Amino acid sequence: MNTLPESYRRPLFPRGPGLGLRTALLALISLALIFNDTRGDSLRNVRSTLSFMLTPLVWVASLPGHVLSAAENLDTRETLERENRELRQKQLLLETRLQKMNALEAENRRIRELLASAARIEDEVLIAEIVAISQDPYRSQITLNKGTRDAVYRGQAVVDASGVLGQIVDTGHQRSRALLITDPNHGIPVEVNRTGMQTIAIGAGELGLRLPFLPSNADIQVGDLLVSSALGGRFPAGYPVGTVYELKHLAGEHFMEAYASPAARLNQGRQALLVWSESYLVGGDVDGAADEEAATPPSAP
Amino acid sequence: MTSTRNLLLGFTASLLLAIVFQLVRLPDILAAARPLWVPLVLAYWALRESRISTLLPAFVAGIALDVLFGSPLGQHALGLVIVVYIVERLRGIFILFPLWQATFALIPAWALYSFLMFWVDGATRHQADAWLRWLPVLSTTLFWPLLFSVMEALRQPPEDE
Repeated sequence: MNTLPESYRRPLFPRGPGLGLRTALLALISLALIFNDTRGDSLRNVRSTLSFMLTPLVWVASLPGHVLSAAENLDTRETLERENRELRQKQLLLETRLQKMNALEAENRRIRELLASAARIEDEVLIAEIVAISQDPYRSQITLNKGTRDAVYRGQAVVDASGVLGQIVDTGHQRSRALLITDPNHGIPVEVNRTGMQTIAIGAGELGLRLPFLPSNADIQVGDLLVSSALGGRFPAGYPVGTVYELKHLAGEHFMEAYASPAARLNQGRQALLVWSESYLVGGDVDGAADEEAATPPSAP
Repeated sequence: MTSTRNLLLGFTASLLLAIVFQLVRLPDILAAARPLWVPLVLAYWALRESRISTLLPAFVAGIALDVLFGSPLGQHALGLVIVVYIVERLRGIFILFPLWQATFALIPAWALYSFLMFWVDGATRHQADAWLRWLPVLSTTLFWPLLFSVMEALRQPPEDE
């Protein structure tokens, strides 16, 4: 079985550079690419072009998942009816709440006008479908089916029905990739809803979110809701980010850490909302700066 | 002439299939143990066919993987080029081994590939501390005899003619 085939013939006069040289050359090119790609943005266009060319492969790879989900969608009439009933009840509940909400929104707008702040309550949004291919278990990313064609931009916030999902890190023509808030490379400015304290939540993978370097006397408790803050002008303010589930006092350190579980359902759901933040809509100029000042509450010392 | 064209066709098809297998969604537990399909297929061709050069295709497939996974451009390309180099360099020795011996002899190549991925991730300050990263080395080793036999069986008929 392991004999050499008849056609095996080493060329007598090998053409071109040898194997070692070619390997060294390609390895050097790879290293140069890695270096360039991590240091700057110069390769972004190359990447998006390639990504567009590879769309058919991604589509083929997502087929089994689509077939599975289609099979899941075949429900019995009974479950559909039950679901329908439940949804009706829920809608009734929500509508009553919405009425109150309208009044509150109007009131809030009036008060904000009094404060002469330009914050908008209704953000502009677009629904995108998650083309959920969990490619690499060590990177928390999702791919969405909207791209530059729909004016998606890099750094745009992505939310779902229950909270902030992450932000766009890479845009293609019809596809974009978002980094989830639990990725260790991701940080999001948050505000503790109860006290108004501003801090930063960093992704911690399986642990959810980590709030490092809190002053040891900071007023934060287990169960506190964290909402997104407009500091930095990247995320729209006021969306839930997570709930604190653990506080860790490090003996001998000046700081304490808190851990929070994300509010958004990160690995479930099919749709995500892309939100256009105010600073992007107004061009991120003087207005944006004014907003940031207005959005900063008098934080507790 | 046609056999060379068939060969190239088979090579391209198997490489594309390997990339798709690398992408297909799996449950989280299985995803960590997903075999390294692309290095597997490339190593097979580098070992069995001297007629086609696998080095440049390895580089291109690596760039494609980088784009698909969102890793720094060149990371997978580097790993694949080096694995192919090792296999092609040692082909003279590997070709004499029985299948089970080749299976074990290739473990260092998979380990080196995993280590390179781990190292570049660390060097580019990405999270790189999971022990689970070494699981693919095991699964790839287990898949090697399977892939080798299947490919041999698939390629046998044309050679009989």
